[in-house]
Amino acid sequence: MKTRISVTVNGEKHDLEIKPNRTLSDLIRIDLGLTGTKKGCGQGKCGTCTVLLDGKPVNSCLILAPQVNGKSVVTIEGLGNGERHPLQRAFAEKGAIQCGFCTPGMIMTAKALLDQNPHPTEMQIKEAIGGNLCRCTGYTKIVDAIDAAANIVSDSTVETGGRDV
Amino acid sequence: MSEFRVVGKSLPQIDALQKAIGETTYVSDIVLPKMLYGRILRSPYPHARIRNIDVSRAETLPGVKCVITYADTPGVKFGPRSEDWTILADTKAIFEGDEIVAVAAVDEDVAEEALELITVDYEPIPGVFDPLDAMAPDAPLVHDDKPGNIAAEFSIQAGDVDDALKRSHFVHEARYFTNQVYQAYLEPMGAVAQTDASGRLTLWVGTQIPNMMRMSYAKALSMAPEDIRVIVPDYGGAFGAKMENNSHLVAAVLAKKSGRPVKVINPRQDDFIAGNPRVPMYIDMKVGVDSEGILTGKDVKIVGGNGARTVYGPAIVSTACYRVDSLYRFKHVRAKGYTVYTNTIPTGCFRGFGNSQSTFALESSLDAIAEELNIDPIDLRMKNAIGPNEVSVHGWKIGSNGLRECMTKAAETAQWSDKRSQKKPFRGIGLACCNHVSGNRAFAREFDGGSGIIRVGRDGRVTLYHGESDMGQGQKTAFAQIAAEKLGISLEQIDVAVVDTDVSPFGLGSFATRGTTIGGNGVLSAATEAFRQLAGVAADMLEASEDDIVAADGKFFVKGSPEKYIPFKEVANQASTSRGGAPLIAVGSYIPPTQLPDPVTKYGNISPAYPFGCHIAEVEVDPETGEITVVNFVAAHDVGRAINPMATEGQIEGGVVQGLGWTLMEKMVVENGHLVNPSFLDYEIPGPLDVPKITPLLIESIEPEGPYGAKGIGEPALNPSMAAITNALYNATGVRILALPVTAEKMLSELHKLRADK
Repeated sequence: MKTRISVTVNGEKHDLEIKPNRTLSDLIRIDLGLTGTKKGCGQGKCGTCTVLLDGKPVNSCLILAPQVNGKSVVTIEGLGNGERHPLQRAFAEKGAIQCGFCTPGMIMTAKALLDQNPHPTEMQIKEAIGGNLCRCTGYTKIVDAIDAAANIVSDSTVETGGRDV
Repeated sequence: MSEFRVVGKSLPQIDALQKAIGETTYVSDIVLPKMLYGRILRSPYPHARIRNIDVSRAETLPGVKCVITYADTPGVKFGPRSEDWTILADTKAIFEGDEIVAVAAVDEDVAEEALELITVDYEPIPGVFDPLDAMAPDAPLVHDDKPGNIAAEFSIQAGDVDDALKRSHFVHEARYFTNQVYQAYLEPMGAVAQTDASGRLTLWVGTQIPNMMRMSYAKALSMAPEDIRVIVPDYGGAFGAKMENNSHLVAAVLAKKSGRPVKVINPRQDDFIAGNPRVPMYIDMKVGVDSEGILTGKDVKIVGGNGARTVYGPAIVSTACYRVDSLYRFKHVRAKGYTVYTNTIPTGCFRGFGNSQSTFALESSLDAIAEELNIDPIDLRMKNAIGPNEVSVHGWKIGSNGLRECMTKAAETAQWSDKRSQKKPFRGIGLACCNHVSGNRAFAREFDGGSGIIRVGRDGRVTLYHGESDMGQGQKTAFAQIAAEKLGISLEQIDVAVVDTDVSPFGLGSFATRGTTIGGNGVLSAATEAFRQLAGVAADMLEASEDDIVAADGKFFVKGSPEKYIPFKEVANQASTSRGGAPLIAVGSYIPPTQLPDPVTKYGNISPAYPFGCHIAEVEVDPETGEITVVNFVAAHDVGRAINPMATEGQIEGGVVQGLGWTLMEKMVVENGHLVNPSFLDYEIPGPLDVPKITPLLIESIEPEGPYGAKGIGEPALNPSMAAITNALYNATGVRILALPVTAEKMLSELHKLRADK
């Protein structure tokens, strides 16, 4: 049995006919081919599949497709709107990326943080990314990158792509 | 470092922006036309006879294209170290997670549903789960042809240990246990396989050893190695784990039988139960010292858990037996190692490769010895540290060596002396040192070396081909920096090609902290040859002597006359034009001055360069709950020269945090062969809130054998972390930790025991 849903992803509306048990992560990765969103555990524990759902960070592997009907999703590909988002540049420049498999989820979580709190403290950054695992970097340079991006974002209003972002 | 323009600079990884925007295609992102999705049915029993397998219902499920059992495989035994593997189990499952049946279907849901329709008639039989139990005379056998469950034995001896220990002022003796931990890379293992009409197989796989893997897999698939092409796309971490794994071979057999490309990516639970986690070890260690604090001898017996089949367990146990001996000026050492089969997950490489286990043991022992002699733990190590240009007890020719400077700088930065003397209750500071290799001649016996190919196109674009592996550590960028420096161009002008066994040099791969030193020297050699050829062309264009040509900032010019230059691009154009459009191709290689160790004494210089390090940890313990907080961490490493300081710091920070996780949090809980916690929900690795401030210190001893002086950093970054933390815990509480991990519960119970004893 398939169900019809309508979902906006990175500003583009998609009408889809899908199995009701389809996860949002599979919808994004397989049905829409947006493989920037990663799948690290499928249990909502590693954070690599983090996307923004109506502006809030969620583990897309724990969300079923029918739950996003009528909603708006932003993935890593929708950040930046043609330009690199300061978070993306800061992650690359500050050495916050090694294997990079955690990076898209980490950046989406950080994006949600900066939307809510443009001047987070180090502890607030660590708390915000507490659900995103990284095995390569030891987090130090990730925290530095988010801090650096916060300074850039708060200095200038940056258009970040995706209609609702 | 001002002499260099690219080397020694903290440049972003060349592929970082691509990763940041989500456009990197990892192995698990690959989709090919008509591709099927494979899944593996694994044994739920640690030891069971397989009486019957019925796949008929799965085969008729709509969407299922292929089901395979042992009968569909070539049925040969194979393995990277010992031929005790089969692709799928034949008559017996030997660990929980053993591969029994596999299916390929049009999507993952159908594949999963098909697994549920397969009936396997198992007869569970008694198993053995702990390596010490497995050595008992009446223990069940994992393999009928392996008496005593012994997978391998290792012995090494130098000097007269018995006499040295007898004459010692004090001999410290302890049994240590280091547990089995999971590498927890964020992209699970897997591969995409495709066969063509001629039967040739292509594997896209995240692997540290593309070329060596191809040899193992050729045997497994009864194919010629040249009929297998291994391509290594970007992949999400490895830390030693991503070597041979049956999930890749299952994809290959499914692709062959179905005639369609097949992707097999381990679901995370499968990866937990059938990856290749760290070798658990029991380490019985005796270390002697004279009254002046000079180490007299070391005697060790190690029993390591191999799991149900041999991945790299024997090499890891042998490394644990003796590598750490070359950290100090030992003269009398002896070790006996046993690698033992159990009905548990096969164990393999994890950052440190046995040296991390024995470093924990030795550095814990030295802490206890320093206390016994009432000397500062740093002074004890200073008295005994091996120095530059010395030859160790096992014939290792140490080149540059910044070990003493690591200790001095780490102590200064961590305020060691003040904090040791002004001790606060339940707060402590501890240290540990380490040595390692930059490549291990004993690992791959055929040859040692590294090589590179540089192609300079008519457009001036430079492409570098290498045969090692970038698992995320930044190998590509380090190689590009080495080549760019030599060619006088910027990093943006170089592409580093995807490793492809049809095109790339035969590299041994990325393990043993060998990539930057040995692979990097191969790249440097190729770049040197490319420069020689380009300089010849530039010399003609400038009407000068080739020997006077300099390359810098994307220009060629005569030494001393930078104003009269020819752009790199024009030289490349001329080089190609004058050769009928052929690109300039330069090949270079490096053969390190290493020796295959003597088969009996194991004496021989196994690595071209030896890195060293010193970690200092500061901890706090809550006496009411046992909760442990690492509050500060300093990690000083002799890296020879940091090709990219930012990336080197990243290696150190990541290594320290993995060591912290192992020491305080991580534990694969196995009960009667069943892994109780095969998920990140129950197997916790450090998160951002678990991490203290880490100060990496780069000590640059400029290694004569290293490219631009560089040594390796990958593994030493972790090696001393465990003992640094547990030694700090001893300083904080008086509790000596002999077994990893030390959780809050364990610390609390140790504190209770300590109080009861008083």
